[in-house]
Amino acid sequence: MYTQTDIETKLKSIFKKVLDIKESEIIPGAKLDESLGIDSTEMVEISVVIKKELGITLKDGELKKTYSFNDIVGILKSK
Amino acid sequence: MEKIAITGLGVISPSGIDKRVFWANIKAGRSAVEKIERFDASLYPSRIAGHVKELEGYSNVSSRLLKKIDLFSHMALVASELCLEDAKINLADEDLKRVGIFMGNAIGGWLYAETELRDMYMEGREGVSPFMASAWFPAAPQGQISINYGIKGFSKTIVADRASSLMAIGYAARTIIRGKCDFILAGGMEAPVTPYALLCCNTSGMLTESNEHPHSAYRPFDKNRDGLAIAEGAGVLTLEPQSRITKRGAHVYANIIGYGTTTDAVNRIEPSQDAVQLGRAIKIALEDAGLSPKDIDYISADGAGTQIGDATEAKAIKNVFGDYARKVIVSAPKSIYGNMLGASGVLDVITTVLAMEHNMVPPTINYETPDPDCDLNFCVNKAQAKEIKNALIINRGRGGINCVLILQKP
Repeated sequence: MYTQTDIETKLKSIFKKVLDIKESEIIPGAKLDESLGIDSTEMVEISVVIKKELGITLKDGELKKTYSFNDIVGILKSK
Repeated sequence: MEKIAITGLGVISPSGIDKRVFWANIKAGRSAVEKIERFDASLYPSRIAGHVKELEGYSNVSSRLLKKIDLFSHMALVASELCLEDAKINLADEDLKRVGIFMGNAIGGWLYAETELRDMYMEGREGVSPFMASAWFPAAPQGQISINYGIKGFSKTIVADRASSLMAIGYAARTIIRGKCDFILAGGMEAPVTPYALLCCNTSGMLTESNEHPHSAYRPFDKNRDGLAIAEGAGVLTLEPQSRITKRGAHVYANIIGYGTTTDAVNRIEPSQDAVQLGRAIKIALEDAGLSPKDIDYISADGAGTQIGDATEAKAIKNVFGDYARKVIVSAPKSIYGNMLGASGVLDVITTVLAMEHNMVPPTINYETPDPDCDLNFCVNKAQAKEIKNALIINRGRGGINCVLILQKP
Protein backbone atom coordinates (compact mmCIF):
# COMPACT_ATOMS: atom_id res chain seq x y z
CA MET A 1 0.00 0.00 0.00
CA TYR A 2 2.45 2.64 1.19
CA THR A 3 6.12 2.56 0.22
CA GLN A 4 8.86 3.05 2.76
CA THR A 5 9.43 6.56 1.42
CA ASP A 6 5.72 7.42 1.65
CA ILE A 7 5.65 6.31 5.25
CA GLU A 8 8.83 8.21 6.14
CA THR A 9 7.56 11.40 4.53
CA LYS A 10 4.14 11.17 6.17
CA LEU A 11 5.59 10.29 9.56
CA LYS A 12 8.01 13.21 9.44
CA SER A 13 5.15 15.57 8.74
CA ILE A 14 3.15 14.06 11.62
CA PHE A 15 6.08 14.51 14.00
CA LYS A 16 6.53 18.11 12.89
CA LYS A 17 2.85 18.84 13.47
CA VAL A 18 2.40 17.08 16.81
CA LEU A 19 5.74 18.05 18.35
CA ASP A 20 6.16 21.44 16.72
CA ILE A 21 9.71 20.61 15.60
CA LYS A 22 11.76 21.03 12.42
CA GLU A 23 12.49 18.02 10.20
CA SER A 24 16.21 18.42 10.91
CA GLU A 25 15.58 17.65 14.59
CA ILE A 26 14.49 14.10 13.82
CA ILE A 27 17.41 11.68 14.28
CA PRO A 28 16.15 8.51 12.59
CA GLY A 29 18.07 5.97 14.71
CA ALA A 30 17.82 7.69 18.09
CA LYS A 31 15.34 6.84 20.86
CA LEU A 32 12.48 9.32 20.71
CA ASP A 33 12.34 10.07 24.43
CA GLU A 34 16.06 10.81 24.54
CA SER A 35 16.41 12.69 21.24
CA LEU A 36 13.13 14.62 21.19
CA GLY A 37 11.99 14.48 24.81
CA ILE A 38 8.78 12.75 23.76
CA ASP A 39 6.46 11.71 26.58
CA SER A 40 3.83 8.97 26.62
CA THR A 41 0.92 11.31 25.94
CA GLU A 42 2.66 12.63 22.82
CA MET A 43 3.11 9.01 21.65
CA VAL A 44 -0.64 8.47 22.00
CA GLU A 45 -1.29 11.66 20.05
CA ILE A 46 1.06 10.50 17.30
CA SER A 47 -0.81 7.14 17.11
CA VAL A 48 -4.12 8.97 16.79
CA VAL A 49 -2.84 11.17 13.95
CA ILE A 50 -1.29 8.12 12.21
CA LYS A 51 -4.71 6.49 12.22
CA LYS A 52 -6.35 9.63 10.84
CA GLU A 53 -3.78 10.33 8.12
CA LEU A 54 -2.47 6.87 7.19
CA GLY A 55 -5.52 4.80 8.10
CA ILE A 56 -3.26 2.48 10.10
CA THR A 57 -4.69 1.35 13.47
CA LEU A 58 -2.21 0.74 16.26
CA LYS A 59 -2.91 -1.01 19.54
CA ASP A 60 -2.71 0.97 22.79
CA GLY A 61 0.92 1.18 23.78
CA GLU A 62 2.17 -0.37 20.55
CA LEU A 63 4.36 2.66 19.87
CA LYS A 64 6.77 3.17 22.72
CA LYS A 65 8.64 6.39 23.39
CA THR A 66 11.86 4.35 23.62
CA TYR A 67 11.56 3.38 19.97
CA SER A 68 13.33 5.34 17.24
CA PHE A 69 11.82 7.00 14.16
CA ASN A 70 13.12 4.08 12.08
CA ASP A 71 11.54 1.53 14.46
CA ILE A 72 8.17 3.17 13.96
CA VAL A 73 8.54 3.26 10.18
CA GLY A 74 9.23 -0.48 10.39
CA ILE A 75 6.11 -1.12 12.46
CA LEU A 76 3.93 0.89 10.10
CA LYS A 77 5.36 -0.83 7.04
CA SER A 78 4.50 -4.22 8.51
CA LYS A 79 0.79 -3.34 8.83
CA MET B 1 1.80 34.55 63.91
CA GLU B 2 5.42 34.80 62.80
CA LYS B 3 5.73 37.43 60.03
CA ILE B 4 6.07 36.00 56.55
CA ALA B 5 7.35 38.39 53.90
CA ILE B 6 5.97 38.96 50.42
CA THR B 7 9.08 39.64 48.36
CA GLY B 8 8.00 39.34 44.73
CA LEU B 9 4.88 39.39 42.61
CA GLY B 10 3.72 38.58 39.11
CA VAL B 11 0.29 39.67 37.93
CA ILE B 12 -1.70 38.69 34.83
CA SER B 13 -4.97 40.58 34.72
CA PRO B 14 -7.46 42.40 32.52
CA SER B 15 -6.00 45.61 34.00
CA GLY B 16 -2.55 44.73 32.76
CA ILE B 17 0.32 42.34 33.11
CA ASP B 18 3.20 44.58 34.09
CA LYS B 19 2.75 45.63 37.74
CA ARG B 20 3.18 49.32 36.86
CA VAL B 21 0.46 49.18 34.19
CA PHE B 22 -1.74 47.23 36.60
CA TRP B 23 -1.35 49.79 39.39
CA ALA B 24 -1.92 52.72 37.03
CA ASN B 25 -5.24 51.24 35.95
CA ILE B 26 -6.28 50.44 39.51
CA LYS B 27 -5.34 53.92 40.73
CA ALA B 28 -7.42 55.50 37.98
CA GLY B 29 -10.36 53.16 38.57
CA ARG B 30 -10.45 52.36 34.87
CA SER B 31 -12.85 49.46 34.24
CA ALA B 32 -11.53 46.56 32.17
CA VAL B 33 -14.79 44.59 32.02
CA GLU B 34 -16.05 44.09 28.46
CA LYS B 35 -18.57 42.25 26.37
CA ILE B 36 -17.49 38.65 25.73
CA GLU B 37 -16.68 38.21 22.05
CA ARG B 38 -14.33 35.26 22.18
CA PHE B 39 -17.31 32.99 21.55
CA ASP B 40 -21.00 33.57 20.94
CA ALA B 41 -22.29 34.44 24.39
CA SER B 42 -25.47 36.16 23.17
CA LEU B 43 -27.80 33.69 24.87
CA TYR B 44 -26.14 33.80 28.28
CA PRO B 45 -27.83 35.88 30.99
CA SER B 46 -24.43 37.36 31.98
CA ARG B 47 -22.14 37.87 29.02
CA ILE B 48 -19.43 40.30 30.14
CA ALA B 49 -16.03 39.61 31.67
CA GLY B 50 -12.54 40.89 32.33
CA HIS B 51 -10.24 39.54 29.61
CA VAL B 52 -6.46 39.23 29.69
CA LYS B 53 -4.78 40.84 26.70
CA GLU B 54 -1.31 40.36 25.22
CA LEU B 55 -0.34 37.32 27.26
CA GLU B 56 1.76 36.08 24.29
CA GLY B 57 3.92 39.18 24.57
CA TYR B 58 5.07 38.11 28.03
CA SER B 59 5.13 34.35 27.48
CA ASN B 60 8.19 32.17 27.04
CA VAL B 61 6.16 28.98 26.93
CA SER B 62 6.98 26.84 23.88
CA SER B 63 4.27 26.16 21.34
CA ARG B 64 4.85 22.46 21.95
CA LEU B 65 3.90 22.83 25.61
CA LEU B 66 1.02 25.16 24.80
CA LYS B 67 -0.70 22.28 22.97
CA LYS B 68 -0.78 20.29 26.17
CA ILE B 69 -1.96 22.85 28.69
CA ASP B 70 -4.99 24.98 29.39
CA LEU B 71 -4.92 28.77 29.51
CA PHE B 72 -4.91 28.76 33.31
CA SER B 73 -1.63 26.84 33.36
CA HIS B 74 -0.18 29.17 30.73
CA MET B 75 -1.04 32.22 32.84
CA ALA B 76 0.35 30.58 35.98
CA LEU B 77 3.66 29.85 34.21
CA VAL B 78 4.02 33.44 32.98
CA ALA B 79 3.03 34.88 36.37
CA SER B 80 5.59 32.65 38.12
CA GLU B 81 8.35 33.81 35.82
CA LEU B 82 7.45 37.48 36.36
CA CYS B 83 7.30 36.87 40.10
CA LEU B 84 10.69 35.19 40.40
CA GLU B 85 12.26 38.01 38.37
CA ASP B 86 10.56 40.58 40.58
CA ALA B 87 11.80 38.83 43.72
CA LYS B 88 15.31 38.57 42.26
CA ILE B 89 15.50 34.94 43.20
CA ASN B 90 17.80 32.68 41.21
CA LEU B 91 16.55 29.13 41.57
CA ALA B 92 19.99 27.76 40.68
CA ASP B 93 21.08 28.97 44.15
CA GLU B 94 18.22 27.24 45.95
CA ASP B 95 17.64 23.75 47.36
CA LEU B 96 14.66 22.93 45.15
CA LYS B 97 13.54 20.14 47.52
CA ARG B 98 12.77 22.94 49.99
CA VAL B 99 10.84 25.21 47.61
CA GLY B 100 7.05 24.85 47.48
CA ILE B 101 4.20 25.88 45.20
CA PHE B 102 0.82 26.73 46.77
CA MET B 103 -1.86 27.65 44.25
CA GLY B 104 -5.57 28.33 44.53
CA ASN B 105 -8.06 27.55 41.80
CA ALA B 106 -11.82 27.16 41.72
CA ILE B 107 -12.83 25.51 38.46
CA GLY B 108 -9.89 23.92 36.63
CA GLY B 109 -8.99 24.21 32.94
CA TRP B 110 -12.41 24.17 31.35
CA LEU B 111 -11.56 25.41 27.86
CA TYR B 112 -9.38 22.34 27.32
CA ALA B 113 -11.91 20.05 28.98
CA GLU B 114 -15.00 21.22 27.16
CA THR B 115 -13.27 21.15 23.77
CA GLU B 116 -12.33 17.51 24.36
CA LEU B 117 -15.81 16.65 25.65
CA ARG B 118 -17.30 18.01 22.45
CA ASP B 119 -14.80 15.96 20.40
CA MET B 120 -15.69 12.87 22.42
CA TYR B 121 -19.38 13.23 21.62
CA MET B 122 -18.72 13.97 17.98
CA GLU B 123 -15.87 11.56 17.22
CA GLY B 124 -15.96 9.01 19.99
CA ARG B 125 -13.22 8.11 22.46
CA GLU B 126 -10.46 8.55 19.92
CA GLY B 127 -11.39 12.18 19.41
CA VAL B 128 -10.13 13.04 22.87
CA SER B 129 -6.61 14.42 23.08
CA PRO B 130 -4.30 12.38 25.30
CA PHE B 131 -3.10 15.66 26.78
CA MET B 132 -6.53 16.11 28.36
CA ALA B 133 -5.44 13.93 31.28
CA SER B 134 -2.92 16.49 32.43
CA ALA B 135 -4.45 19.72 31.15
CA TRP B 136 -7.69 20.35 33.00
CA PHE B 137 -7.42 19.40 36.69
CA PRO B 138 -7.03 22.22 39.22
CA ALA B 139 -3.51 21.13 40.26
CA ALA B 140 -2.20 21.12 36.68
CA PRO B 141 -0.64 24.62 36.99
CA GLN B 142 1.15 23.59 40.20
CA GLY B 143 2.52 20.61 38.26
CA GLN B 144 3.59 22.67 35.27
CA ILE B 145 5.36 25.24 37.42
CA SER B 146 7.19 22.51 39.30
CA ILE B 147 8.25 20.79 36.05
CA ASN B 148 9.36 24.08 34.54
CA TYR B 149 11.64 24.95 37.45
CA GLY B 150 12.43 21.52 38.91
CA ILE B 151 10.71 22.49 42.18
CA LYS B 152 10.35 19.43 44.39
CA GLY B 153 9.20 20.69 47.78
CA PHE B 154 5.92 20.38 49.68
CA SER B 155 3.29 21.88 47.37
CA LYS B 156 -0.47 22.12 47.31
CA THR B 157 -3.43 23.27 45.26
CA ILE B 158 -6.38 24.60 47.26
CA VAL B 159 -9.88 24.51 45.81
CA ALA B 160 -12.16 26.78 47.87
CA ASP B 161 -14.29 28.62 45.33
CA ARG B 162 -13.60 32.40 45.38
CA ALA B 163 -11.42 32.03 48.48
CA SER B 164 -9.01 29.55 46.88
CA SER B 165 -5.90 31.67 46.40
CA LEU B 166 -6.26 33.64 49.65
CA MET B 167 -6.49 30.32 51.45
CA ALA B 168 -3.48 29.01 49.51
CA ILE B 169 -1.49 32.07 50.59
CA GLY B 170 -2.52 31.66 54.24
CA TYR B 171 -1.69 27.96 54.17
CA ALA B 172 1.65 28.70 52.48
CA ALA B 173 2.56 31.21 55.19
CA ARG B 174 1.79 28.66 57.90
CA THR B 175 3.81 26.02 56.03
CA ILE B 176 6.87 28.26 56.05
CA ILE B 177 6.37 28.91 59.76
CA ARG B 178 6.33 25.15 60.36
CA GLY B 179 9.72 25.02 58.64
CA LYS B 180 8.60 22.82 55.77
CA CYS B 181 9.82 25.11 52.97
CA ASP B 182 12.57 27.69 52.54
CA PHE B 183 10.26 29.80 50.40
CA ILE B 184 7.03 29.33 48.52
CA LEU B 185 5.53 30.48 45.23
CA ALA B 186 1.94 31.18 46.26
CA GLY B 187 -1.06 32.48 44.38
CA GLY B 188 -3.70 31.34 41.97
CA MET B 189 -5.05 31.32 38.44
CA GLU B 190 -8.46 31.12 36.80
CA ALA B 191 -9.66 30.93 33.20
CA PRO B 192 -13.48 30.94 33.37
CA VAL B 193 -14.21 32.84 30.15
CA THR B 194 -15.19 29.73 28.19
CA PRO B 195 -18.62 28.55 27.00
CA TYR B 196 -19.13 25.88 29.65
CA ALA B 197 -17.41 27.64 32.56
CA LEU B 198 -19.46 30.78 31.91
CA LEU B 199 -22.60 28.65 31.90
CA CYS B 200 -21.66 27.14 35.27
CA CYS B 201 -20.99 30.58 36.70
CA ASN B 202 -24.30 31.86 35.36
CA THR B 203 -26.26 29.12 37.09
CA SER B 204 -24.91 30.23 40.48
CA GLY B 205 -27.23 33.23 40.23
CA MET B 206 -24.37 35.48 41.30
CA LEU B 207 -23.51 37.10 38.00
CA THR B 208 -24.55 40.59 36.93
CA GLU B 209 -26.90 40.82 33.95
CA SER B 210 -26.17 44.48 33.23
CA ASN B 211 -24.66 43.53 29.91
CA GLU B 212 -25.46 46.79 28.15
CA HIS B 213 -22.96 48.67 30.31
CA PRO B 214 -20.07 46.32 30.98
CA HIS B 215 -17.84 49.00 32.52
CA SER B 216 -20.37 49.87 35.20
CA ALA B 217 -21.99 46.48 35.75
CA TYR B 218 -19.94 45.21 38.70
CA ARG B 219 -20.85 47.54 41.54
CA PRO B 220 -20.07 46.13 45.00
CA PHE B 221 -21.99 47.70 47.87
CA ASP B 222 -24.01 49.97 45.57
CA LYS B 223 -27.77 49.83 46.27
CA ASN B 224 -28.50 48.71 42.67
CA ARG B 225 -25.88 45.97 42.52
CA ASP B 226 -26.94 42.77 40.79
CA GLY B 227 -23.91 40.53 40.98
CA LEU B 228 -20.34 40.09 39.87
CA ALA B 229 -18.66 40.03 36.49
CA ILE B 230 -16.16 37.21 36.08
CA ALA B 231 -12.57 37.64 34.95
CA GLU B 232 -9.59 35.56 33.93
CA GLY B 233 -6.07 36.00 35.21
CA ALA B 234 -3.34 34.83 37.56
CA GLY B 235 -1.14 36.09 40.34
CA VAL B 236 1.92 34.62 42.00
CA LEU B 237 3.85 35.85 45.06
CA THR B 238 7.10 34.75 46.66
CA LEU B 239 6.69 34.21 50.41
CA GLU B 240 9.81 34.02 52.59
CA PRO B 241 10.64 33.84 56.30
CA GLN B 242 12.42 36.75 58.01
CA SER B 243 15.69 34.81 58.27
CA ARG B 244 16.02 34.70 54.48
CA ILE B 245 15.12 38.35 53.98
CA THR B 246 18.03 39.69 55.94
CA LYS B 247 20.40 37.10 54.51
CA ARG B 248 19.72 37.95 50.87
CA GLY B 249 18.75 41.59 51.28
CA ALA B 250 15.33 41.02 49.74
CA HIS B 251 12.88 43.80 49.13
CA VAL B 252 9.76 43.26 51.24
CA TYR B 253 6.40 44.51 49.94
CA ALA B 254 4.54 43.56 53.10
CA ASN B 255 4.40 40.89 55.79
CA ILE B 256 1.58 38.42 56.31
CA ILE B 257 0.85 38.66 60.01
CA GLY B 258 -2.57 37.07 60.49
CA TYR B 259 -4.86 34.47 58.99
CA GLY B 260 -8.30 33.18 59.90
CA THR B 261 -10.85 30.89 58.28
CA THR B 262 -14.31 29.54 59.18
CA THR B 263 -17.33 28.12 57.41
CA ASP B 264 -20.96 29.28 57.62
CA ALA B 265 -22.57 25.81 57.65
CA VAL B 266 -25.86 27.13 56.33
CA ASN B 267 -26.33 27.15 52.55
CA ARG B 268 -24.52 25.70 49.55
CA ILE B 269 -24.43 29.02 47.63
CA GLU B 270 -25.56 31.94 49.78
CA PRO B 271 -23.64 33.21 52.78
CA SER B 272 -25.28 33.06 56.19
CA GLN B 273 -27.67 35.96 56.91
CA ASP B 274 -26.25 36.53 60.39
CA ALA B 275 -22.63 36.86 59.19
CA VAL B 276 -21.46 35.47 62.51
CA GLN B 277 -18.87 33.04 61.12
CA LEU B 278 -17.39 35.66 58.81
CA GLY B 279 -17.09 37.94 61.84
CA ARG B 280 -15.38 35.12 63.68
CA ALA B 281 -12.88 34.57 60.84
CA ILE B 282 -12.01 38.29 61.03
CA LYS B 283 -11.54 38.02 64.83
CA ILE B 284 -9.36 34.91 64.48
CA ALA B 285 -7.15 36.73 61.96
CA LEU B 286 -6.91 39.83 64.19
CA GLU B 287 -5.97 37.72 67.20
CA ASP B 288 -3.43 35.82 65.11
CA ALA B 289 -1.91 39.18 64.12
CA GLY B 290 -2.00 40.54 67.66
CA LEU B 291 -4.04 43.50 66.46
CA SER B 292 -7.29 45.09 67.53
CA PRO B 293 -9.87 46.29 64.97
CA LYS B 294 -8.75 49.91 65.39
CA ASP B 295 -5.28 48.98 64.10
CA ILE B 296 -6.67 48.21 60.65
CA ASP B 297 -6.29 51.06 58.14
CA TYR B 298 -7.87 49.41 55.12
CA ILE B 299 -10.20 46.52 54.35
CA SER B 300 -10.07 44.85 50.92
CA ALA B 301 -13.54 43.38 50.72
CA ASP B 302 -14.75 40.19 49.13
CA GLY B 303 -17.16 42.46 47.24
CA ALA B 304 -19.25 39.74 45.60
CA GLY B 305 -21.60 42.44 44.34
CA THR B 306 -24.71 40.43 45.24
CA GLN B 307 -27.44 41.85 47.48
CA ILE B 308 -26.94 39.29 50.24
CA GLY B 309 -23.17 38.93 49.81
CA ASP B 310 -22.35 42.58 50.30
CA ALA B 311 -24.96 43.13 53.02
CA THR B 312 -23.67 40.22 55.10
CA GLU B 313 -20.07 41.25 54.57
CA ALA B 314 -20.90 44.77 55.77
CA LYS B 315 -22.74 43.28 58.76
CA ALA B 316 -19.72 41.20 59.76
CA ILE B 317 -17.42 44.21 59.50
CA LYS B 318 -19.79 46.31 61.62
CA ASN B 319 -20.14 43.56 64.22
CA VAL B 320 -16.39 43.25 64.64
CA PHE B 321 -15.33 46.86 64.18
CA GLY B 322 -18.18 48.55 66.05
CA ASP B 323 -18.12 52.35 65.74
CA TYR B 324 -14.79 52.18 63.96
CA ALA B 325 -16.59 50.44 61.08
CA ARG B 326 -17.71 53.85 59.92
CA LYS B 327 -14.14 55.12 59.80
CA VAL B 328 -12.04 52.28 58.44
CA ILE B 329 -11.68 52.58 54.66
CA VAL B 330 -13.16 49.75 52.63
CA SER B 331 -13.03 48.97 48.92
CA ALA B 332 -13.34 46.12 46.42
CA PRO B 333 -10.86 46.90 43.62
CA LYS B 334 -11.90 43.72 41.84
CA SER B 335 -14.85 45.78 40.61
CA ILE B 336 -12.31 47.26 38.17
CA TYR B 337 -11.16 44.11 36.37
CA GLY B 338 -13.76 41.52 37.38
CA ASN B 339 -13.97 38.70 39.88
CA MET B 340 -11.22 36.20 39.17
CA LEU B 341 -12.98 33.54 41.28
CA GLY B 342 -10.23 31.32 42.68
CA ALA B 343 -7.53 33.81 41.77
CA SER B 344 -9.26 36.86 43.26
CA GLY B 345 -7.45 36.51 46.60
CA VAL B 346 -3.94 36.79 45.22
CA LEU B 347 -5.05 39.77 43.11
CA ASP B 348 -6.43 41.39 46.27
CA VAL B 349 -3.08 40.82 48.00
CA ILE B 350 -1.14 42.23 45.01
CA THR B 351 -3.41 45.28 44.84
CA THR B 352 -3.05 45.84 48.58
CA VAL B 353 0.74 45.60 48.65
CA LEU B 354 1.02 48.00 45.71
CA ALA B 355 -1.38 50.32 47.55
CA MET B 356 0.86 50.13 50.63
CA GLU B 357 3.89 50.90 48.46
CA HIS B 358 2.23 53.96 46.93
CA ASN B 359 0.46 55.16 50.09
CA MET B 360 -2.88 55.11 48.30
CA VAL B 361 -6.10 53.23 48.97
CA PRO B 362 -7.39 51.52 45.80
CA PRO B 363 -11.00 52.28 44.89
CA THR B 364 -14.23 50.41 44.48
CA ILE B 365 -15.80 51.63 41.25
CA ASN B 366 -19.39 52.06 40.06
CA TYR B 367 -20.49 53.11 43.55
CA GLU B 368 -23.27 55.64 42.94
CA THR B 369 -26.16 54.98 45.31
CA PRO B 370 -25.41 54.17 48.95
CA ASP B 371 -27.19 51.22 50.52
CA PRO B 372 -28.20 51.72 54.19
CA ASP B 373 -27.35 48.02 54.79
CA CYS B 374 -23.81 48.66 53.58
CA ASP B 375 -23.05 51.87 55.43
CA LEU B 376 -19.29 51.64 55.53
CA ASN B 377 -16.62 54.17 54.62
CA PHE B 378 -15.80 53.36 51.02
CA CYS B 379 -13.00 54.65 48.84
CA VAL B 380 -14.84 55.11 45.58
CA ASN B 381 -13.99 55.53 41.94
CA LYS B 382 -10.39 56.76 42.24
CA ALA B 383 -7.55 55.93 44.62
CA GLN B 384 -7.20 58.12 47.74
CA ALA B 385 -3.94 59.13 49.34
CA LYS B 386 -3.50 57.39 52.67
CA GLU B 387 -0.76 55.45 54.39
CA ILE B 388 -1.80 51.85 54.94
CA LYS B 389 0.06 50.20 57.80
CA ASN B 390 -2.28 47.26 58.41
CA ALA B 391 -4.70 45.84 55.84
CA LEU B 392 -7.36 43.18 56.23
CA ILE B 393 -8.38 41.13 53.16
CA ILE B 394 -11.65 39.19 53.05
CA ASN B 395 -12.46 36.46 50.52
CA ARG B 396 -15.52 34.23 50.63
CA GLY B 397 -16.68 31.22 48.67
CA ARG B 398 -19.86 29.26 48.07
CA GLY B 399 -20.49 26.57 50.62
CA GLY B 400 -20.05 29.21 53.32
CA ILE B 401 -16.28 29.58 53.07
CA ASN B 402 -14.79 32.59 54.90
CA CYS B 403 -11.12 33.48 54.67
CA VAL B 404 -9.28 36.48 56.09
CA LEU B 405 -5.64 37.54 55.73
CA ILE B 406 -3.90 40.48 57.42
CA LEU B 407 -0.92 42.26 55.85
CA GLN B 408 1.42 44.76 57.49
CA LYS B 409 3.70 47.28 55.83
CA PRO B 410 7.31 46.56 56.82
